[in-house]
Amino acid sequence: MKKLFALLMAAMLLVTCAFTAASAEGEKYLGVMLSTNVMSLDTNLATDGESFEVIADCIDGLMQMDANGAAIPAIAESYDLSEDGTVYTFHLRDAKWSNGAAVTANDFEFAWKRIAKEAGEYAYLLDTSVGCIKNADAIIYEGADPETLGVKALDDKTFEVTLEVPVSFFPSLMYFPTFYPINEEFYNSLAEGTYGTSPETFLSNGAFVLEDYAPGTASLSVKKNDAYWDADSIKLAGIKYQVVGSSDNALTAFRSNTLDVVTVSGSQVGAVEKDASLSSQLKVTGAGYLWYLTFSQTANNANGYLANKNLRLAITNAIDRESLVENYVMDGSLDTYTAVPPQFAASSTTGEDFSADQDQFLDYVGFDPDKAAAFFETAKAELGQDEFTFTLIYGNNEGDEVAKVAQAIKADLEDLLPGLTVNLQPMTKSERLDKMQNDNYEIALTRWGPDYADPMTYLGMWITNNSNNYGFWSNAEYDQLIKDCTTGAYITDYDARWAALLQAETIVMQEAVIAPLYTKANANLIASGVNGIQFHPVALNRVYKAVVLE
Amino acid sequence: MLKYVLKRVGLALITLLIIVFLLFWLVRVMPGNPFPSERMNDIQIANKRAEMGLDDPVLVQFARYIIKALQGDFGNGTSLYYGVPINTVLSKAIGNSFRIGGIAIVIGTLIGLLLGITAALNRGKFLDGFCTVFSIIGVCVPSYVFLIFLQYNFAFRIPFFPYFFDPNRFVFSSVLPSLSLSLFTMSTIARFTRNEMVEVFDSDYVRLAESKGMYGRTLVLRHVLRNALIPIVTVLAPLVVDLLTGALVVEKIYGINGIGKLMVDAITGEGIDYNYVLALGILYSALYIGVMLAVDLLYGVLDPRIRVAAKGEEA
Amino acid sequence: MAKKNIQPAAAAAQSVYTPVPGDFELLHRRDIRTDANFASQSYWKGVFTHFFKNKRAVVGLIIITVIILLALFGPIMNSYDYKDIVQFRNEKNKRVVAKGIAPRIPGLHKLLTGEEYDDSFKDLTFLFGTDDLGRDLWTRTWYGARVSLAIAFITIFIDMIIGMSYGLISGYFGGLADNIMQRFVEIANSVPRLVIVSVLAIFMPKGMALVVVALLLTEWIGMSKIARAEMLKIKEQEYVLASRTLGARNSHIIFREILPNTIGPIITQVMFSIPTAIFTEAFLSFVGVGIVLPHCSVGTLIEDGFNNITTLPYQILPPIIVLALLMLGFNFIGDGLREALAPKLEDM
Repeated sequence: MKKLFALLMAAMLLVTCAFTAASAEGEKYLGVMLSTNVMSLDTNLATDGESFEVIADCIDGLMQMDANGAAIPAIAESYDLSEDGTVYTFHLRDAKWSNGAAVTANDFEFAWKRIAKEAGEYAYLLDTSVGCIKNADAIIYEGADPETLGVKALDDKTFEVTLEVPVSFFPSLMYFPTFYPINEEFYNSLAEGTYGTSPETFLSNGAFVLEDYAPGTASLSVKKNDAYWDADSIKLAGIKYQVVGSSDNALTAFRSNTLDVVTVSGSQVGAVEKDASLSSQLKVTGAGYLWYLTFSQTANNANGYLANKNLRLAITNAIDRESLVENYVMDGSLDTYTAVPPQFAASSTTGEDFSADQDQFLDYVGFDPDKAAAFFETAKAELGQDEFTFTLIYGNNEGDEVAKVAQAIKADLEDLLPGLTVNLQPMTKSERLDKMQNDNYEIALTRWGPDYADPMTYLGMWITNNSNNYGFWSNAEYDQLIKDCTTGAYITDYDARWAALLQAETIVMQEAVIAPLYTKANANLIASGVNGIQFHPVALNRVYKAVVLE
Repeated sequence: MLKYVLKRVGLALITLLIIVFLLFWLVRVMPGNPFPSERMNDIQIANKRAEMGLDDPVLVQFARYIIKALQGDFGNGTSLYYGVPINTVLSKAIGNSFRIGGIAIVIGTLIGLLLGITAALNRGKFLDGFCTVFSIIGVCVPSYVFLIFLQYNFAFRIPFFPYFFDPNRFVFSSVLPSLSLSLFTMSTIARFTRNEMVEVFDSDYVRLAESKGMYGRTLVLRHVLRNALIPIVTVLAPLVVDLLTGALVVEKIYGINGIGKLMVDAITGEGIDYNYVLALGILYSALYIGVMLAVDLLYGVLDPRIRVAAKGEEA
Repeated sequence: MAKKNIQPAAAAAQSVYTPVPGDFELLHRRDIRTDANFASQSYWKGVFTHFFKNKRAVVGLIIITVIILLALFGPIMNSYDYKDIVQFRNEKNKRVVAKGIAPRIPGLHKLLTGEEYDDSFKDLTFLFGTDDLGRDLWTRTWYGARVSLAIAFITIFIDMIIGMSYGLISGYFGGLADNIMQRFVEIANSVPRLVIVSVLAIFMPKGMALVVVALLLTEWIGMSKIARAEMLKIKEQEYVLASRTLGARNSHIIFREILPNTIGPIITQVMFSIPTAIFTEAFLSFVGVGIVLPHCSVGTLIEDGFNNITTLPYQILPPIIVLALLMLGFNFIGDGLREALAPKLEDM
């Protein structure tokens, strides 16, 4: 027995030595960190940024993002818009799938109808709250025939989309993976549940083709697609993705040259900045997410105390957001005082960021202990209550800094509002959402990332009965404003709509429906010599089409 | 013997059925949705639930599940690797975890035994003290802390081993995670071996053997170790199951697609993936039950006086 | 034995036997030593005597006592609170937080280097440093030690009461009883802890009580397996048969005849289940069903330290050292007890 084991050990050692010689690779791939596993390469099922990023490496939609996040043509060479602004006609260029088939208008029609039919997580991008594609609501929510969706392949190269009402940002939706094409013939040739589960069961028409992937894998790779319509401008040989579950580990992986692009945690940024060679490779980019507190405003929870506007205002004025981002988040995130975070939605007429002015709501939200105390006194008088105890729920798997932020908020509130006690309750994201959706919480620390580059991606959440209106807050004036902006009076007048959106945001802030905290940023380390990665806070967080390795 | 084994296997199937039902019911009671639901409204969520058959009585769902499971179909992922049949994902993860865990068990048991025997033979001397301190540190330092230490020193400072797990260089890239996982087993086995052997050394029959002139390796291996093995095997058994079924943090740090991470992701991910929890639960229970049966049989081999089976079942 | 020699126990244990009339006639050698006569003192008194004669056991006892004392009084030995962030506002009304400060004693630092620390907290002493939120780790470590000590003692209790009895009974009766009891163990062990605890959390408040319930559910299983294995081994030995033949009751045989002979592996198992339990608590706390932030335990402190291991490497050391010392202490005590409880180990 012992001899056998000795043999085994010896064999292991031998194999170890045999493999020590690094496997020689051809052209260098870019090593990129993913913070979670890729959940699906199927545009209908994918819900996370990592999946979207890999899908976008391999598939082009009608439009793509330029370096500034504006929509520029991809598979669609050009498009026409009808005079009433409701019919888009996209003219497709000659592009090929990786199996040699041509990319046709039917690929889009098939994929979009599938999204509507399956009514999954991102189907809402088609409905009247966002994309306003004709009949989408009836198909998604009432089970109408998917064939009635307002999309049509006029011929192989012409794709027509009919909207219910004009949507000013519609072209920029086209770079979101939900709107990407799938080759119908190829899809139908596969067994159920196998599409996108391996390089063989996945077609690409984009800059890269899938080289090595299986569901659940911690490492995957894509390589350059020579048949890509714009192959000449792609300089990168391929990308090797590695899932790094602990951000603490990412820094060492970067220093060991295992990875070229990593995201480090806020607590590491300080160490990175002290190191001369590392700090020159640090690049902070906006991640888009707004972290905020939401309050249950129904009588079901906390005796209905949080329905009191002054109590909410007291809380939102007692949080030192500057200290929060400087001392605890630390990755370059921005302290935020607006319900729509900055840096993702700019007016197409003036070019000005919707939330550039962070001081505009200082009367209602900010850090002002005196004002907080005053609001608190009013609330106490109104509620006839001197002591309050609330439970703050937050996710334990939503980032390293979340628990720290929760503890800092607790310390701030208890410090500045004597009589208020905050109990912390971590839970999984799934449980947190469940509690919030079923109005079974008091205060929650939650986040929302923009799905498209328009303030509506945030402001649309607080209309009555929206599933993301976790406060169950309701305001008729607000509902009307949002309605006017999506399907009503303002849809054709861009500037008026913009002003109306601002007016809606003002109501949210006045009422302290939510307490915005900070806009998340990512602290990236990018190896010197790697140029041209485009970072975006919306839709696709990282785009590699312009990457050049030196 | 065969009769006894068959009877145990039959019982195991019933036990397994009870476990699966318990689990089946418990995951449905847990708060949370079985799929991501942040952007879906109540209608969509209700439709999805109906589509998955979650509105049916639990017993009906259970029967449906069992019938499918018996055909080898454990369903598709709902909050993990959406829509992909679980078997596809599991087969890879099981392969990785079994191999890494397997190596860890072999290393842990062998070195643990060696350490324990050495300590027992040098009772009260320096080596004995060293073994004590080593095992105590070994159970106090979590395996992932040890892995970070190994990774930092032997994959970064001295870049000998790969920094992340690489399925294409399996054995080589399993060294660090296996070694770190084996630490706890090593310490436990070393401690148990040492304490047991010391006790056996003091027993009357070893004294008798000694007085009959037996000494050296024969005595240690044939009499002392063999008699000390029963508690060692007993503590080793659950460790084997745990190691084979993966270790969350180690898998996360070293980028291993293993079942420990799958299980936790299935419960704490975007939703609770009932199908993964069940499939992994079945796997874990089956392994545990199997290993426990093996241990009961092993008792009889190690000490023929032990009869786990009731009278009449031995044949 | 003709006549029982009634002497003070301690003296009997030590002294050279003095022959009395009526005794057996002694051999010619006058310096012969006899066994210490344990029958002449109560069993527990003998255990006590032996235990305190064992130097390592005493050291273990001292370690545990010191940790308990520090857990009780450590948090109040300085002015910090376990949950308060050490911070102040500077002249620009900006918040300055004492986070991530390595262990420091300003006086000592000045003595050794002749310099003062060059930050805003140069006059403050942090024996173990501060964590990434700016809380004093000395205070938190000892505060956390309270929880973990409680977990350790609860585990010992669960192991010794539930696990041991369950295993001994299952092994002793064997057959159908064993079969049913072992199938129950398989069921109890097979439902993932995360699932069962999440469900329990619906019905009872999250916190220490839930952790204890979670430990009660599965923590005894390892011990029961060991006790059962020992029982299976020992129950076939002749003295058990003899006892049974003499008409001893089952409970007498299990707990008085066999238990003392199985105590070795049982104590080892208790010792090794303590750190497992401490980490289980940390895991449950992390997923949100255990103790609630800003409370802490040694286990959660180790996890915090691990999360900052590259940036604040000193942070993980105090809790790990406390845990290791705790284990060392318990192991020394365990070894001492083992030898004291099983007299055959004693040099006779």
